[in-house]
Amino acid sequence: MVDPLVEMAGIDKSFPGVNALENARFDLFPGEVHALVGENGAGKSTLMKILSGIYRRDAGTISVRGREEEITSPHAAQSLGISIIHQELNLMYHLTVAQNIFIGREPRRGFLLDEGALNARARQLFDDLHLNLDPRTRVGALAVAQQQMVEIAKALSFNSDVLIMDEPTAALTDTEIDELFRIIRQLRDQGKGIVHISHRLVELKQISDRITVMRDGRYIATVNTAEAEIQQIISMMVGRTVFEATPELPEQPDPTVVLKVKGLNLGRQVRDITFQLHRGEILGVAGLVGAGRTEVMRAIFAADRPESGEVTINGKPVTIRAPSDAVRHGIAYLSEDRKRYGLALGMDVEVNTVLASLGRFASSFGWIRTGATRTAALEQVKALAIKTPGIAQRVKNLSGGNQQKVVIAKWLTADTDILIFDEPTRGIDVGAKSEIYRLLNDLARQGKSIIMISSELPEVLRMSHRILVMCEGRITGELSAAEATQERIMTLATQRESVAAA
Amino acid sequence: MQTTTPPARSRVQSILGGDSIQRLLALGALVLLLAFFSVVVPHFASTNNYIDILTATAVNGVLATGVTFVIITGGIDLSVGTGMTFTSVVAGIVAVNMGLPLPLGLLAALGAGALVGSINGALIAKAKLPPFIATLGMLYVTLGMAQVISDVHPIYFDQQPAFQQFFMAKPVIGIPNIVWVMLGGAAIAWILLNKTILGRYTFALGSNEEATRLSGVNVDRWKIIIYAVDGLFIGLAGIVIASRMNSAQPGLGMGYELDAIAAAVIGGTSLSGGEGSVVGTIIGAFLISTLRIGLSVAGIPDQWKSVITGLVVIGAVWLDILRRRSRA
Amino acid sequence: MKFTRLTSLAAGSMALALVAGACSGSATPAPAASGAPASAAAAASAATGAASAYTAPTDAGKAKGKTIAIISKGEQHQFWQAVKKGALDEAAKLGVTATYQGPATESEVDKQLTMLQTALSNNPAAVCFAALDSKAAGALLQQAQAANIPVVGFDSGVDSTIPVTTVATDNIAAAGIEADKLAALIGDAGKVAVIVHDQTSQTGITRRDGFVNQMKAKHPNVQVVSVQYGAGDPVKSADIAKSIMTANPDLKGFFGANEGSIKGILNALKETGKEGKIVAVGYDSGQQQLDAINSGVEAGAITQNPIGIGAKCVDAAVDAINGKTLPKNIDTGFYWFDKTNINSPEVQAVLYK
Repeated sequence: MVDPLVEMAGIDKSFPGVNALENARFDLFPGEVHALVGENGAGKSTLMKILSGIYRRDAGTISVRGREEEITSPHAAQSLGISIIHQELNLMYHLTVAQNIFIGREPRRGFLLDEGALNARARQLFDDLHLNLDPRTRVGALAVAQQQMVEIAKALSFNSDVLIMDEPTAALTDTEIDELFRIIRQLRDQGKGIVHISHRLVELKQISDRITVMRDGRYIATVNTAEAEIQQIISMMVGRTVFEATPELPEQPDPTVVLKVKGLNLGRQVRDITFQLHRGEILGVAGLVGAGRTEVMRAIFAADRPESGEVTINGKPVTIRAPSDAVRHGIAYLSEDRKRYGLALGMDVEVNTVLASLGRFASSFGWIRTGATRTAALEQVKALAIKTPGIAQRVKNLSGGNQQKVVIAKWLTADTDILIFDEPTRGIDVGAKSEIYRLLNDLARQGKSIIMISSELPEVLRMSHRILVMCEGRITGELSAAEATQERIMTLATQRESVAAA
Repeated sequence: MQTTTPPARSRVQSILGGDSIQRLLALGALVLLLAFFSVVVPHFASTNNYIDILTATAVNGVLATGVTFVIITGGIDLSVGTGMTFTSVVAGIVAVNMGLPLPLGLLAALGAGALVGSINGALIAKAKLPPFIATLGMLYVTLGMAQVISDVHPIYFDQQPAFQQFFMAKPVIGIPNIVWVMLGGAAIAWILLNKTILGRYTFALGSNEEATRLSGVNVDRWKIIIYAVDGLFIGLAGIVIASRMNSAQPGLGMGYELDAIAAAVIGGTSLSGGEGSVVGTIIGAFLISTLRIGLSVAGIPDQWKSVITGLVVIGAVWLDILRRRSRA
Repeated sequence: MKFTRLTSLAAGSMALALVAGACSGSATPAPAASGAPASAAAAASAATGAASAYTAPTDAGKAKGKTIAIISKGEQHQFWQAVKKGALDEAAKLGVTATYQGPATESEVDKQLTMLQTALSNNPAAVCFAALDSKAAGALLQQAQAANIPVVGFDSGVDSTIPVTTVATDNIAAAGIEADKLAALIGDAGKVAVIVHDQTSQTGITRRDGFVNQMKAKHPNVQVVSVQYGAGDPVKSADIAKSIMTANPDLKGFFGANEGSIKGILNALKETGKEGKIVAVGYDSGQQQLDAINSGVEAGAITQNPIGIGAKCVDAAVDAINGKTLPKNIDTGFYWFDKTNINSPEVQAVLYK
């Protein structure tokens, strides 16, 4: 029997008002990928943050390579060979790729930095990972998936024995995930221990050796992946048996066209985009990361102003010069980065709910009628089943799924008819995901028109009446729900211009 | 992998080119302004006047260089002006009142500056005070301390004639040494910012402090060091201003911090942190003094000088925003 | 103040004559100065200035042990330090208690009002007040009047009928003398420039106007080409002085309206190597200025009598407490001093370093 790399036992941790961990445990052996699963709030991230020195435990023991250790800081964890890749990217956008990777460990020649050695080392690292990235690029100029790769490269650069990845695949496309898994296997074969936190249970089957399930801050069980059934894991996670029944597709939408986009252009990412959206329809938009899906939606919303193109709403041509115009015409854009663009995190549920429609709640002197905002917020909390102790709760204290619901509540309160969702379930756990799906279906049934950008093919296939597929800024195809398959979408999503022309 | 070159018009790429273009803008504005005054204002175009502009930039240039460091970290330092006064008084106490050798007095000024900076840094990093508040407090503390230790009396460096003789001497092309001190300080600052680990962490802190901390960088310690470096420049400014006056004047200092911050901002340093440059700051400082002196030579009333300086600060930052918007 | 200013504008030399005449009856330290020929036009005369016919009390009377609150315009400049010393020494001599306060800079009107408010709340026997802004202090002064607290104005005084007297330097007259001196030193013709500490304070306005108007009225061939403001900062004032020299290469003279301004001019002359080539006259004292006068770089300066102002304030307050009638203005006098008389005891007595 090999000795474990890491053993955590009896770990307690509480935050003001919350018992995040109670008698939690976890172990990790060299040469294994150990998946850690659980719904949001189950304590997985907290447990791993304790292991990586970001939080201090209240009770319990941590042994690394058989020796009991106090891990007091991220630095201490690193010197024990423990690295963590956070779910929220932790990069310095003004610095280059190489500067980010080696922050705190810059090669020096005496007093001065050795930028040459820095870039060479980073390049070596990327070569090892078979990644084509210029170390001198500023991280702020990279797409999210590329930034994620920088994070991974950075963690690997520590030569750590223990690598914790918190939702590393959340922002990656399938090919990128394959690439990541290739790297993970490579590291596993070198004898490193990898902790993989994920919501995507299917991929755990591919990559992990063991799976530990947590629920409500407690350890539930550890199973060998080979012997585990996904349904079994899900029921351990949620504490009840869940049948992952495909929710019935909403009835066919009204043929009325609510939104028509014609010849929209903006730079290389939005090229001659033409499509229409019907009342009560869920229109899926699929494509690889960087295909220009988000950019198209931002252009429609005038978050970035398009160079050319026509937008028609309910048969009338409209001019949208700024997001405020779009909102006035009943279009809402729900960014994938909810925390940055969707919510005032430090403010409460009530304020966030009415934020996009404050004018309606204000008297002529700009005085806000708090009674009305309360009522509106309470209505939405009830209608969307937002799990919150009350409308005075700060949004940052809610789970990802409930934050997403608050964003939706905001736009419903603003009475928008066209909702553009960008990765609506990103970073949301399984249980909450199906709730979001149900919510989207309900909205469509009520006559709202929905555009849904998603990188998860099963999600697109399951949810959409129609699917647009994009590649390199163009729409490369449109599929009805009936004709769409994963294979057909992937074919269209990789239909590069040069290939098409040939 | 989709890991090829980033899209040409990405939001942050404009930031990538941001400070260098802002620096060019500031430089262009400076050249235009010099040309304008030289043509329009009688007597402006003379070597002596250009040297006067250089001389008038020295104090603000040194202060602005120091404050550039902390602004890049996303902080601010309101205590640079009165801190400067404090350090000049310390130099006077040591070199005149205590009668110690002049170099010791100058070292004491630098030390006092580093001390002021370190206290700012500690208040910000350890006591978690917002930089605005911590340094606002230090503004008053240093002003008061300058008066306490000098007993509200100016200290004259008459017994140390070498002091003014050295700093105001003009050994190279008629430019006084304080200008070379400023430029030398800026060169050191440029190296620190661009070639050393200190500069790397300065930018990293301003870009994403939490990410820097999680990368294992001792953020608190580096913050204190960065504020201490700012403090060293405060001390250097104290030496420069004392050499010009051949004295330490305990009542001075208020208002200098705003000129310094304005110079940095005109030069493209972002108050939200993560970007900035010493070259830009020095150009910004030159721009301010060119404007002041040009308007003064032209005989423009004082009140209008203030209005115009303010408009230039607003215009410089607005231009930068416009440029970014047009590229986004 | 308005009244004084108008007289001076109308007949500068007459005012001077009155001032000079008043010398004979003046109290300390003016008697020594009275011996000097104080003719307005005499460029090289030793001392000019005056103090009014006011006799200081020799004991505190009813005021014994009572508190006089002094609210000045500043505490940091050497000038104010000297005022403070004069006041506190006189108070100690007479056996009264004096408190002395002033805001950090001469633009902090609101802080000064807070100080006055606090002082009044402590119910002092009398208040000495040098207003930064007389109008702004109106309500508080009425409050003092209602509480029967006598108010003594000093320095730039208080523009109101409430103060029982004003203890001050006649800045208009003094600046007028500066104009006469500077004109004489440059041969009564040519360009001169003025650097003032600010354009809002009473001293800034009166010294500037006293100088400029006297030039216009009496020295038509002398042209005041520039009046600029340097906040009393020796470095900023130096940069301004240099820019004035740049704009006017044939400049013959400078007048610095306070200590910081003349320091700036001296710095500028030194930095440009124009020492001795451009005539500089200043105001107040301070070591740098005294050294410059001794070495001849600065032709001379007006000094007020800050110690006298402080002392007279307390004297007037004590008299007011004792119910004595006081003259409308108590002039504390000023001196023109240059290389020739800088070391005379009467001048030395009012100089500070």
